Amino acid sequence: MVQINFSLKEVNCKVVYYGPGLSGKTTNLEVVHQKAPKGSVGDLTSIATEGDRTLFFDFLPLNLGQVAGMKTKFQIYTVPGQVYYNSTRKLVLQGADGVVFVADSKKGKMPENLESLENLMENFREYGMDPETTPIVLQYNKRDLPEIYTIEEMDAELNRWNCLTFEAVARDGNGVFPTLKALAGQVLESLNRQHSGGSVAQRRPAAVAVGAGVAAGGGGGQQSAQASPAVSVGQATGRAQPMRATGQAVPMQGGVRVSAKNQSISVAKNKKKNRSKGMLWVMLGFVALAGAGAYLHFSGKLAALLGQ
Amino acid sequence: MVSDSDHLREKRVVFYKEDVEKINEVLIEFLKLSDSKCNILIDKEGHMVTKAGKTGAIDLQSVSALVAGSYAATREMARLLGEDEFSVLFHQGRKDSIQLTLVGDRTILATVFDERTTIGMVRLYAKEASEKLEEIFRAILERPPQEGEDLDKNFGEDAKGALDFFFVD
Ligand SMILES: Nc1nc2c(ncn2[C@@H]2O[C@H](COP(=O)(O)OP(=O)(O)O)[C@@H](O)[C@H]2O)c(=O)[nH]1
Ligand SMILES: [Mg+2]
Repeated sequence: MVQINFSLKEVNCKVVYYGPGLSGKTTNLEVVHQKAPKGSVGDLTSIATEGDRTLFFDFLPLNLGQVAGMKTKFQIYTVPGQVYYNSTRKLVLQGADGVVFVADSKKGKMPENLESLENLMENFREYGMDPETTPIVLQYNKRDLPEIYTIEEMDAELNRWNCLTFEAVARDGNGVFPTLKALAGQVLESLNRQHSGGSVAQRRPAAVAVGAGVAAGGGGGQQSAQASPAVSVGQATGRAQPMRATGQAVPMQGGVRVSAKNQSISVAKNKKKNRSKGMLWVMLGFVALAGAGAYLHFSGKLAALLGQ
Repeated sequence: MVSDSDHLREKRVVFYKEDVEKINEVLIEFLKLSDSKCNILIDKEGHMVTKAGKTGAIDLQSVSALVAGSYAATREMARLLGEDEFSVLFHQGRKDSIQLTLVGDRTILATVFDERTTIGMVRLYAKEASEKLEEIFRAILERPPQEGEDLDKNFGEDAKGALDFFFVD
């Protein structure tokens, strides 16, 4: 739920990275943390286990800057992918204004992708959220691996709403920004549309408009009417084509990346990363009560932030 | 059919200046009475609404996210234990402690305090403050949507520019 605060002159939006365990959600946030302009992101807080597996969530505050006089901020979360953490995953999803679904392209991972997507839909339903109107983008990650599904296969299995999709190699920082940019655009566009009194029910056209710099074809005239019932039609026709940002969006330009990295080093210096360790026992003891386990961990985090 | 204004209220939370001023008054009074260090009002999505007192070096965005997460986890625990909701939550530190008080069903009041005061004082006045805040929120909800302040007409255009500027790959 977007918070518009005229007293603080702020717009606050919540974005959640969803997907199966180990698909690269935390990596996405780490890249955003590194590549974002200096001073525009806060600490990356991870509530993680000893082995760096996300226990409750990762959190990254991002300040987009002034938009029409409002300081526009995104609070970005990842969920734990492990199947048995649904209670905590659900908590993180609550009130989300947009979702990035990070799918694993590696051959053999499709069942996990599908299970996670089904789980997302189930949790959407429980919160009364509508996948047709909630901004969602898909990221097909790990495109660097030798044995991967084709884009067509990924689309056919996962892209049910004619979403924008992005290929990524998150570990190398590729495709991460285009993905988030497109989603953030959809969230803000949907807010803008609500503001200007238009119907909230259409979302895809806006996605194209804002993501235009990314999706080469544009295809500005997409009507949401096509997107809604056409679960299987979407990717079978050529219509999905211009919406996909694929190749063009992810230029593998080494030079650009290097300079971005240089910049990010200075960011990382004063914004120390905040990964915590050593709570494996919490996990072991509380697997059944994942929420409770995470919560204990968490008080420690709060204390740290309060300077204890 | 849901009207546009219903949609607005459903999909976003708007805090107008006058509302926040009223909220601030309650927070400042509570701050004095309880002798706490600072008070932060946070919505359930983890966004800060407003604050009072010395928040100094505290990273407010991260604290807000963690408070909301903490509360959400506690609520889930309550559910598993067959409770409706734990309405107050307390973390004790060596120096500072923090109390979280549920205000209505959408916001959480986080109070940071130290040995200058006691948990009893904080709890007593927090209850009072949260009742006053609930009243303010009720009034906000019952009021018809305001005409006046809204996002600027250029918000959409500006947003595109800001995104292009920020996300330089
Ligand atoms: N080969 C490859 N590995 C990746 C990529 N992105 C992430 N990984 C690796 O996948 C593992 C899991 O990533 P993580 O971000 O923790 O996954 P999460 O469980 O979704 O948060 C880590 O070892 C990453 O380095 C990628 O694009 N290609
Ligand atoms: Mg993770």
